[in-house]
Amino acid sequence: MVAAAPPDAVSYVDSDVKTRHLLFTLVLLAAAAAPAIHAATSGGTVGVTVTIAAIAKLSLSTSTLTFPNADPDTTPLIPAAGGALTVTAKAKTATGATVSLTVIAGGDLMSGTDTIPASSVSWTATGAGFVAGTMSRVTAQSVAAWVGSGSRVGTQSYGLANSWSYPTGVFSATATYTLTAP
Amino acid sequence: MKSRILLVGTAAIALAALQPLTAASTTSSVTMSATVSATAKLSVSAATLTFPNADPDTTPSIAATEGAVTVTAKAKTSTGSTVTLTLLSGADLTSGTDTIAISNMTWTVSGAGFVAGTMNKTTAQTVASWTNSGNRTGTQTFALANSWSYPTGSFSATATYTLTAP
Repeated sequence: MVAAAPPDAVSYVDSDVKTRHLLFTLVLLAAAAAPAIHAATSGGTVGVTVTIAAIAKLSLSTSTLTFPNADPDTTPLIPAAGGALTVTAKAKTATGATVSLTVIAGGDLMSGTDTIPASSVSWTATGAGFVAGTMSRVTAQSVAAWVGSGSRVGTQSYGLANSWSYPTGVFSATATYTLTAP
Repeated sequence: MKSRILLVGTAAIALAALQPLTAASTTSSVTMSATVSATAKLSVSAATLTFPNADPDTTPSIAATEGAVTVTAKAKTSTGSTVTLTLLSGADLTSGTDTIAISNMTWTVSGAGFVAGTMNKTTAQTVASWTNSGNRTGTQTFALANSWSYPTGSFSATATYTLTAP
């Protein structure tokens, strides 16, 4: 009996190496054949616009001020009926800018051809920024002033200087408030 | 790329915030109304006038011991209207059934608008008058004509002032 020749060790080694080589080659070939993969980005722009404009908004608690008849000896200053007028002023303005509220009479108080000077009307005030004053038909008088944007509330208490020299009648005039936000 | 996008966005916002701000203003009106009604207010400094006994030869005209009476007349009236102050006696000076004619009493005055006069029991006599509203003050100095014909007694009468503001 002739014994089978033992497996050829060299052959095994050779075979294994060849396989590895083959596999490596295949991997290389596969890598070479695959397309290249790179990070990609796409960009664009968007414009953002923010508009903050000056705004002035004014509200008064009443549109009429009524001064009733009174004895000048006992009532030298006639208060407006209904009490104080509440003023609400809202404004947006530039930082550091002054928001102003003024009032001016369109004329003296008139009844036919008779007049009572607008300067006979005066007011006291409450609330931050509000100031007392005397009505004028010539120059707008300051009612209040503030720095910067905000919502402010205050009051004015009007009075009419009484006098025995006033002629009888029903006298009236219109006063215009102006709120300015620069 | 992403960082580039961020810079562009920031620039856009910054540009928008720098836009010029237009001033804003708003107005609101109130109507002022004052009522002035006709008013008359009178004050007299003395409520009584006393004429003492006196010798008609040496004191033909007896002055009131109270001196001059101060009259203050305050009135509100329509423009151009006349404010009047008058005086009217209720009767002659009377003591029991005896009388001294009230017309024996006269007055002189001081102050704008005041006029001298003679007391009357029938017709109100003008003491003063003015045009338009105002606060006026003057004086009246009363005197009683003396006479030997007067009967003795304590004679009295009441005189009424009337201030009218139409």
